[in-house]
Amino acid sequence: MSNSSKNSSNNTDRGWTPVEEGLFEYPVPSGGQPALLGNRCGSCGRRFFPRRALCPTCVDEGGMEDIRLDRFGVVYACTVVHIPSPAGIRAPYAYGYADIPADNVRVFGLFTGADPFSFHAGQRVEMVLEPLKENEKGQKVIGYKFKPVEEERHI
Amino acid sequence: MRDVYLGGAGMTLFGKHPHRSLRDLGREACLEAVRESGVRPGDIQAGYCGNALGPVLQGETGVGQNVFWEIGIHGIPVVNVENACASGSTALREGWMAVAGGFYDLVLIVGVEKSVMPKGTMLNVGAAELETKLGDVFPGYFALTAKKHMEKYGTTREQLARVSVKNHLNGILNPYAQFKKEFTVEEVLNSPTIADPLTLYSCCPNSDGAAAVVLCSEEIARRMDLPRIRVSASVLTTGDYENGADITAWEVEKRAAREAYEMASLGPEDIGVVEVHDAFTICEIIHYEDLGLCPPGEGGRLVEEGATAIGGKIPVNPSGGLLSKGHPVGASGVAQVVEIAMHLRGRAEKRQVEDAKIGLAQIMGGSKEGDTRACTVHILERK
Repeated sequence: MSNSSKNSSNNTDRGWTPVEEGLFEYPVPSGGQPALLGNRCGSCGRRFFPRRALCPTCVDEGGMEDIRLDRFGVVYACTVVHIPSPAGIRAPYAYGYADIPADNVRVFGLFTGADPFSFHAGQRVEMVLEPLKENEKGQKVIGYKFKPVEEERHI
Repeated sequence: MRDVYLGGAGMTLFGKHPHRSLRDLGREACLEAVRESGVRPGDIQAGYCGNALGPVLQGETGVGQNVFWEIGIHGIPVVNVENACASGSTALREGWMAVAGGFYDLVLIVGVEKSVMPKGTMLNVGAAELETKLGDVFPGYFALTAKKHMEKYGTTREQLARVSVKNHLNGILNPYAQFKKEFTVEEVLNSPTIADPLTLYSCCPNSDGAAAVVLCSEEIARRMDLPRIRVSASVLTTGDYENGADITAWEVEKRAAREAYEMASLGPEDIGVVEVHDAFTICEIIHYEDLGLCPPGEGGRLVEEGATAIGGKIPVNPSGGLLSKGHPVGASGVAQVVEIAMHLRGRAEKRQVEDAKIGLAQIMGGSKEGDTRACTVHILERK
């Protein structure tokens, strides 16, 4: 577990706290891009997000290598939810699955940065870190979401 | 392994029971099942209880012992089972295995739940799951499967709505159902959107209720004054959680169905009446396909042409299904078998499926990583 970032100070100067430890580098290293933290099996090469302690196929102890997932994905499926979530997200909001082709991993997440009704399967998106809600201490809880890719780039 | 037979079966009205406890609801169902079997509670050799939310919502654990003691059952092995929506059907399978394996000759299975939430509050289970923390809600995942099914096969919103229309029509005929109200396709489509394309009347309600059945050896079944029903297949399995899988079908359900048909030496063409887990309209359409009642992608058309209505080629959810009968989570899997038994014994009255000889019950529980944790399929045959 050598390359995980130093985010032991989970309350940053802005008072934001990650929704769950170990999902993404936070704070984002200066000059760097946000990344989801996954891992890959040293034996079969399969990649996982979130990280798994063991590859379910190889079950090889100590065989997992940490990776940073590619930021770019393609919407596999999306919906707009019209009821508030028990986690405290206000409706309406869009979410679904994004496939990350570079890592061959499908990730669940909220969609952001556009009209919730505008998302569609096949759309290219990129991962961003954004507040999800405020927790009971009044802190902003930060999570990852996907927003439409604004400019043409290679995925 | 020996044959396992269904004894008596009983259930409460499903719906809102704010003033009744889990043990009170469970007692009613158990007593009916035991009495219909013509046995005494003291004859029961082991008990199995499906309950999913008691520890979370009522702060009650050991629900099975509490319920069974209500009818004087004590001093025997009692097992409490939690397997999300498949809790009751998993309890049923535990009892089935115990009788099939020769450990016991007479066992009682109960499923019981109180999941009606106080006004203005939402059921929040699975709060520890990452997806939930990120904003996932129950109907959302099924909305995603519906969107993919529409995209891949051209399934329409009207076809989805027809599942709800059919099941509500059936519910009117079922004295045990929570809702006894007819809806048109337009009313289903125009009810408030929950998660696009699923509307309020595309989603099952939270419910309170209990259901119970007795399982026994053939020898004991012959002594009962009941039309004989054999439980010819009882299958429980787990998802493979394959990241990146096609979400328009459940591999876990196809596998469970295959195993059940093989165990019973039957095929989908032999089944006369079916109860499936229609927590959301899209689910019933996918279950048609996964159970082999029609080819993949044809589920929408199957309901549209009326094949799954009572009187159709293969009636599905004559009880009204979860959509209309209600969904007391841990009770639903047992209640499905209670319903199948009524049809096979010719006691389903106004909703009776004519000449039903073989029935199938399917339920699954616990979304996980775009897959499902538990899926059960039971096949019952009139003998």
